[in-house]
Amino acid sequence: MASAVASTPGPVSVAAAGFDEHAFLTHLATRDEPAWLTERRRAAFDEYQRLLRTPLAQEEWKRVDVRGLQPGKFSVSPSGDAPQQIQTLLENRTEFAGAVSHVDGRRVESRLAASLAARGVLFGSLEEVAKASGELLRSRLFSVVDPRSDRFAAWHAAFLTGGTVLYVPRNVIVDEPLYSLIGLDRAGAADMSHTLIVLEEGAQATLLEETASTRPDTPGLHVGSVELIVGPGARLRYVQLQNWNQQTWHLAHQAGRVERDGSLQWTVAGIGARLAHIHQDVILAGPGASGEVNGATFATDRQVLSYYTQQTHQAPHTHSDLLYKDVLRDEARVIWRGMIRVEPGAQKTDGYQRNDSLLLSPDCRADAIPGLEIEADDVRCTHGATAGRVDADQVFYLMCRGISRYEAMHMIVEGFFHGIYDRIAVEAVRQTLSLAVERKLGIGT
Amino acid sequence: MSEFQQVAELSDFGGADRISVFFDDRSVVVVRVENALYAVEDVCSHDGQPLTDGVVENCSIECPRHGARFDLATGRPLCMPAVESIRVYSAKIEGTQVLLKAP
Repeated sequence: MASAVASTPGPVSVAAAGFDEHAFLTHLATRDEPAWLTERRRAAFDEYQRLLRTPLAQEEWKRVDVRGLQPGKFSVSPSGDAPQQIQTLLENRTEFAGAVSHVDGRRVESRLAASLAARGVLFGSLEEVAKASGELLRSRLFSVVDPRSDRFAAWHAAFLTGGTVLYVPRNVIVDEPLYSLIGLDRAGAADMSHTLIVLEEGAQATLLEETASTRPDTPGLHVGSVELIVGPGARLRYVQLQNWNQQTWHLAHQAGRVERDGSLQWTVAGIGARLAHIHQDVILAGPGASGEVNGATFATDRQVLSYYTQQTHQAPHTHSDLLYKDVLRDEARVIWRGMIRVEPGAQKTDGYQRNDSLLLSPDCRADAIPGLEIEADDVRCTHGATAGRVDADQVFYLMCRGISRYEAMHMIVEGFFHGIYDRIAVEAVRQTLSLAVERKLGIGT
Repeated sequence: MSEFQQVAELSDFGGADRISVFFDDRSVVVVRVENALYAVEDVCSHDGQPLTDGVVENCSIECPRHGARFDLATGRPLCMPAVESIRVYSAKIEGTQVLLKAP
């Protein structure tokens, strides 16, 4: 497959073809949503066109080569019906109090336990909630992720295909986890889904989200966004397992804001995608707020998985702890650029970030760039990064005990990820990640 | 065994000495040096970023960021900080077409 690209493009060049004004207006005509949302789309589309002419931020994108992304090959409105079911790793692994599924940008399932609905919990597709509780959505949608931040955020906001919304009222505790699926089925399908979670003061909930492709070789595009709004004293556990096939582009802006004494545990697993770039912000906005970020990545073949993370401490006595663990094989590449930012006045902040990479082949590559930006003078902020090959002595030790080389590698990789598994309180997620790792190693089915 | 495939028209060069194309699932920079045509993977083996805008001199291309140089014919690094080769493609012109073949 060969295609010419305009001569000497900038470091990142993404054409608008396939998502031009005609495509935008066609998409708009298919939507049945409140006027305010349509107006936001129009503003975002104008911004998208402007940002297409503006270079992407050099520091964020210089290591991520998206020149191979051809938007013209994707569409938000593929014809035909979406399948009702997708085989996934997470679903059916535990009891869920509710589930929302989208395939090719269209809702295929939305359910919530009646007992939770009776207590005021909202859990459904974005279009459902926009219609039924528009005002609730209006003030929260894009309140943490700014659609003007770059062309991908604007692109997403203009061509939004839907998504999952969870709203938990004050002091309501949702014990059972909830489930959200973002699926891609047809070749050339684009998903522009948005996940919005709002926990009011004292609320608690767990949402497990998964992305999956129905087939291993269909090209797909996901330009998504996640917004997590954790109110005072609220506790949110959010897991996103990115498990696209290796022909899918995954570009996402994800951000969480935690208010006074609130707590966010955020786990990101990157297994699939041809190229993934996630801009992940955790904003600790109120005193005593806490954020724990876990990342588990296993990249093989020629996958490129990139994370641009920021832990922003805006208030005093806030705590953040980020741990990303990457395993790479073949010619895969993982890039992690992490920043802890402490704003003036955020005294007594405790921030930590760490990235470990395990390299299973000589041709893979891990780039880890931690950073600190501190504008307060009474803080504790530390960071670290490690990268290394599998220790031959460890493999030898295991093989001496009758374990095959293959199984020995599996045990070592599992052991490497255990630091992440230990931090995840949800057993179903631990099991699912372990299964995904086995499949990547060619052991599981 | 891979075959030559058209990736661009000669006119795509315009007045420039190089074009960027996407071939074999990779970004490739095709460079004209006098009457010869070279094609190398458009990624510096040192920092993993594009070579596109690098200076071409003595049949080599220089990484615009840290100064690593690569031989356009062999892909070998000619100086630090790069120590690993970059992928090289066979390139030729047929009529008005620019063709590449994967290694």
